This record gives sequence, structure tokens and C-alpha cells, in this order.
Amino acid sequence: MTTIAAMGTYLPAWGTDRVRVAGPDEDAVTLAVSAGRAALRAADPALVRRVVLVTRDLPLLEGGNGAAVLAGLGLALDVAVTEQVGGAPAVLDALVDAVPGTLVLAADLVPAGAAAALVAVEGDAGVTLAGRVVRSLPVRARAQDGVLHDYDDPRLVRDRGVGVAVDALDLPAKPDVVAGVPARQAAALCAGRPPALPTTGAGSALFALAAVAGLAPRSLVLAVEQGSATAVTLDGEPAVVRDEPDPRPEPAATRTPGPEISISLPAYERAFEPKLRWEAGRCRACGTPAFPPRLRCLGCGSEDGWDAAALPRTGEVYSAVTVHVPVPGLPTPYSLAIVALDGVGVRALVKVTGAPAGTAGIGDRGRLVLRRVAVRSGVPDYGYAFLPDAACVPETEQREAGR
Amino acid sequence: MRRVAVVGAGMTAFGEHFGLGIKELLPMAVSEMAASVDKGMDRADIQAAWFGELTTTDGFPSGILADSCGLLDIPVTRVENACATGNDAVRNATYAVGSGMVDVALVVGADKVRESSARGTFWEWAGLTRDMAWDYPLGLVAPANFALHVARYLHESPATREHMAMVAVKNHRHAVPNPKAQLRFEITVQQVLDAPRVVEPFGLYDCTPQSDGAAALLLVAEDVADRYTDRPVWVRGVGLGLDRVMHQHKQDMTTFPPTVKASRAAYAMAGIGPEDVDVAEVHDCFTGVELISYEDLGFAERFGAYKLIEDGVTAVGGARPVNPSGGLKAKGHPPGATGVAQCVELFEQLRGEAANQVDGARVALAHNIGGPTAVSAVTVLSSDRG
Repeated sequence: MTTIAAMGTYLPAWGTDRVRVAGPDEDAVTLAVSAGRAALRAADPALVRRVVLVTRDLPLLEGGNGAAVLAGLGLALDVAVTEQVGGAPAVLDALVDAVPGTLVLAADLVPAGAAAALVAVEGDAGVTLAGRVVRSLPVRARAQDGVLHDYDDPRLVRDRGVGVAVDALDLPAKPDVVAGVPARQAAALCAGRPPALPTTGAGSALFALAAVAGLAPRSLVLAVEQGSATAVTLDGEPAVVRDEPDPRPEPAATRTPGPEISISLPAYERAFEPKLRWEAGRCRACGTPAFPPRLRCLGCGSEDGWDAAALPRTGEVYSAVTVHVPVPGLPTPYSLAIVALDGVGVRALVKVTGAPAGTAGIGDRGRLVLRRVAVRSGVPDYGYAFLPDAACVPETEQREAGR
Repeated sequence: MRRVAVVGAGMTAFGEHFGLGIKELLPMAVSEMAASVDKGMDRADIQAAWFGELTTTDGFPSGILADSCGLLDIPVTRVENACATGNDAVRNATYAVGSGMVDVALVVGADKVRESSARGTFWEWAGLTRDMAWDYPLGLVAPANFALHVARYLHESPATREHMAMVAVKNHRHAVPNPKAQLRFEITVQQVLDAPRVVEPFGLYDCTPQSDGAAALLLVAEDVADRYTDRPVWVRGVGLGLDRVMHQHKQDMTTFPPTVKASRAAYAMAGIGPEDVDVAEVHDCFTGVELISYEDLGFAERFGAYKLIEDGVTAVGGARPVNPSGGLKAKGHPPGATGVAQCVELFEQLRGEAANQVDGARVALAHNIGGPTAVSAVTVLSSDRG
């Protein structure tokens, strides 16, 4: 049995109850990091010695996504990262084979969502393999060129894909939840009415575990993808931290074509760690933090160097503006804010995320979250964005506050 | 230090000069300057030139100036100090003449903003002024740099968007009689408020247009000034001030410390105070910036700028007219040329020859802020030798 110490889930703020939409500044890496950070709120991050990221939407096929995942999660540079292309069954496979210290991340772009599970020596829940079958029925196919080929025959998938796979598993009972298929198909495979899951890709396997956690002492969880399936039993109730704001309609955005946004890779490399880890440079002589880090201290003028120091991830807007003019390469409108971080005398210039442009104002509070700030000459440029607290208040409360 | 006189001033019209390259605009401005010298000038008199150009158009700037204007036998130095380039070129030439090393110096400023596609211009210009890893990818378009200041200023001061609109209305009105101005039409407060939003709190009419143009001045030593004119304008003070470059590091964004530093230096050198200034050309790249600058230059008390615009103090006919030329807002803003062109306007004002003349002007001030808000240059000119 694989022991689960903690789980986390993340859903973007955009879309509907049924289908979440990734923001223009989100990709599989930022989604996975958000879910991973949620999980690590319920567990000691120092436990993590290995990260497995499962998705069919890896931002980069060459160039690597692992460093951004580690930095976003605040994990050390020597933590191994496996970037795995896969769907829901692959996530359960990764989970049951994982050694203690493994953080399994699973992210989907359409519908959007991500979830995480930390495998450890100790924990309140465990998963055990109940069956696995690997078959081929590529009704959806996507090769290196990225072009999606859809065979578009749902009955074929139901009968010869999922149907044959589930028969082959020869499960002891009907599953309590099914990941990897739309809700109606899942219901047909289950004994009772299974919980609805927000995604149908890799992430759905972990959303399924989180959904049945605590409903019964033991649950049977099935993950399917086209012709393949993996089933596990979940015993006990894992701690689940959910970062799932109520959905709101995605704001209309204008996209303006134009020349590629240039990038200096030396500048990218120098900034990468403090920028993605949200760290200031603390002066070795007087302790004044500088963000971004710099040789000459802003306080005492010392040039004796600095040490990385974690910055607070909460703050208050000092000034904010909204760009309406079309900007080539960036969806408009967007808001920029200078945010005074809590308690350190440091301000940051960031984009606003998770709220319609123009809604964040001076004095508003919020937190700083990893986002893809831009794509520059093919390179995802990650950094932090300001997520207003108001964007995370459930809709019903917002309506009441507005009265 | 020797006294330094301005004895000639000229400029091209500002506008979208798609049909004219930098190699046309430069000689046009220099020749108009030469024609303005009362007793005439011989181009061979020029001993050195300072050329303010923010970007590079058609090749390396000093060479382009020397080559296109027939100045191949003198040293030419390019000055680049963001949007403070023009007045900093004036400052450098003033030092050279004042020191005694040069008797006759040419100051030229020029830029061709409309030389690249409208889409390409944004990222090209942002790349000039932003940290490439931290700020550049955020999409900090030029208006956003200033809007971050003005948004905070509107939050802390009694000034409103209506006051900003009044600045646009005033400067558009001032530009109407100016044949060199790019936007020679009047607008109303309501038009400003209803205009398409660019970067909130700026609408279209809160922003300077994109401009091409060139301007030139002839600076000479006191000893030789009477060879050129009997009505010189004196460079009484120059100043330059800097601040932290990144917005994150600016303590109080309701003020531009570079302007405070530059104007203090210029006032001290001139031996005057802000109360002595009769007319000013102030860097109004965005309307709110003119308001903040009233305070930084000492024309208004802190957070009192709105009263000046409300009461018409800074309109021509008021007690201290600001931007009688139309300012950057309506005259136009080719960055390297802007500061030099401000001095061209003030040269004419102090000689009583301006298109939109301020009666009895004797002391004048020119002001730039740029980088986007990390450098300021101020020049004090006067018809009094001092």
C-alpha cells in the first residue's frame, strides 16, 4: 500500500461550475504548482524528495519544465523531477509505484484543473493497486506536431475502449468514482451516483481520490483513458487542501499579433531563482532586503553580497493601473499593480491575476501566486502575480457584501 | 564660469514625418536655427556639437548629425538621457561654453518615433528603459510607467481626472496658434473624459502623440554673443536629477524626486526661485505629470496643483503660463528633440517673438522627466544677463 500524507487541488477562477478555463497567464506548470502548494500546506515540504508531474499539456517539450515546478513549490534544486505525458490511469500508476517522499502532480488545461498527492511513510490514507490494463484505441491522437486528431465516435470508446478495459480488470465491485470520462459515462459505470469531477485528464485521477476521501472507509477508484484503465482502492481519509475559488465568466480579451517578445537568456538565468522562488536578496551587512536582489544594498550601500530570503506572499496594493491599448503578444486589457508586501518594506511590480482587469484598486489586499507572465520567443516566462482576496471570496458572499 | 547665451533657435514642425528621414530633419532644424541668428552665422564658427537622440535612426547618431549637416570637422557628442535628453544636451553644451573650452556650440535634439511599425514600437521602446528579466515582460507600456504614479497621486491628492482633462484642454488650446505643433485643435473636458481608455487613469487625450522632429540651438560665450545678436537669451541655470529606476524602489510615487533635484540645482545656479519664473515648458507627456510637476518645480504646494489649473494660473493670460507652445501633449514629443524644442519656444518667448506670446516674460524654465521617471533635466533661461 502507498501511504498518502496530503492532497491538494486547484481550479482556476474562470469558467463555470462544470468547465473551468485556464487564465491567459496559466499553463500546466502554474496549475500544478498551485495544486502542489495547496497539498504542502497540509504536510512538511521537506518530506518531498521527488516530483512526478503528469499531464498531456507540458508547456515545453524541450527546454524543461522541472526547474519552474521546483522553484514554484519552493523545493530544493536536488529534488528529482519526472515530467510524464499521461492521463488519468498514468497518475494512479505513478501513485501506486511511488516511494515515500514523492509528490505526484497532475494538471489538465481543458477543462482546467490540477491536483497533487504527497506520498510519505506516514499518513491517514493509502492506495493499493486493484487492477491495470494497457490497450490502444487512439480516438484522440496528438503527435509531436501538436495537431489534435479526433476520431469522434463516443460509442466506440464506450464499448471497445472503456467497456473492454473495465471488463478486463475484473473488479470485485463497481467503482465508487471514475476518472477520465464525462460525468454521464462515469455514472453508468458506478454503483451509486459518483461525485462529479472538474477535469477528465490526468488531474481527474487525483480529483477522484479527493472526492471520495472520507465518504467511506474504503473506496474503489477507477481511472480510464481511451482503451486503458487502472483501478485502486483508497483506504482512510487523506488531508485535502482545496484552492478552488468560485468560477466566474472569463473576461473578454483582445489578442494582438505582432513581433515576438524578445528575451535575454543571460538575464532570464540570473533572475530565475529569486523570480520564481519569490525571494529577496538580504544584505549581509545590514539585513535590508532588496527585490529584485542587487549587489549594492538599498539601505547601507554595502557591496558585500546578499543571501536569498523568502518574501511574504501577501500584501496590499500601493498603486494600480489598467492597460487597455492593444499590446502585441499580450492579451489586453490587463492590470498592473505595485504591491507593498506585508511587514518587510518591500514593494513588487506585478500583474493582477484571477480578477477582471480594472477591479483591483489601491488598498486592496491579496496574495502573490506563480503565473506565466509572458511567452517570450517561445520561452514561458514565469513570475508572480497579485491575486486579490476579493477574487477568492465565494460568489454568494460577494453578493451579500454588495447589498 | 563664463555666461552662456542662446543666440539662435530653430526646429522642424513636430508630427508624423513619414516622408522625412532623420537626415532631412536634422539639416532642416539646424538651417532654421542659423536663419534665426539676428546678425547671421557662419557654420564654420561652430566648434563643437552636442546631439540629443534617444534612439538610433539610420546609423550612429553623432556621425549622422555631422554628416547630414556639414559638420565633419568638429567634435560631435551624442547625449542620451531618456526623455531628459534634450535639456541634458543643453546642459552639456552650457558646461563646455561656460568652461571656456568652446566659444560657439551647437545643440541639436531629434528623434523619429514613427520610423517603426506601430506594433513594433512598443516593445522596442520598452526595451530601452526596462529591466529585461523583471519588468519588461509585464507589458509596462510607456503610459503605464507614468500612470502608476498618477493613480497614486489621484488617490492621495484632491486632484481628479477632471483636473487632468483641464491640462489637456489648456495645452491643446495653446497649440492652436503654434505652426510647429502636431495637434492644433481645441478639445473639451468632456471629450477628454469620454476618449478611449489607453492606460487608466489616462484616456487618449491625456497622452502625448507619437512624433518625429528635430530642434536646434546655438549657444555662445558671453564674449562673442554680440557678434550674433543684440538680444541674446541667457542660460542662467541647468540641473539634472536622478532617482531609483525601478518603480518598486521609489518611496513616494506622488512626486518625481529627479525634478525636485534638477530644479533645485538650476534655481541655485540661476540665483532665483520658482516664484521668479514667468513662463515654463513642463514635461506633460501625460496630463497628470504636468500636475505633479507643478509641485515638484515649486509652482504649487504639495497636492495643490489642482488649484493652479482650476484657477487658470497656468494658462496663457494667467500668472504663470505653462506650455504656451502646446507642450508635449499638443506640440508633440520626439523625445530627443523635446527638451531642445522647449528651449526654442522659450527663446522666442523671452525675445517677445513667440506664436503664443506670454506678455513680459523675462525668466523661463524648461523641464523634462524620463527614464521613465528616473531622470529629470531643467534649464532656466532669461532675457536678463544676471
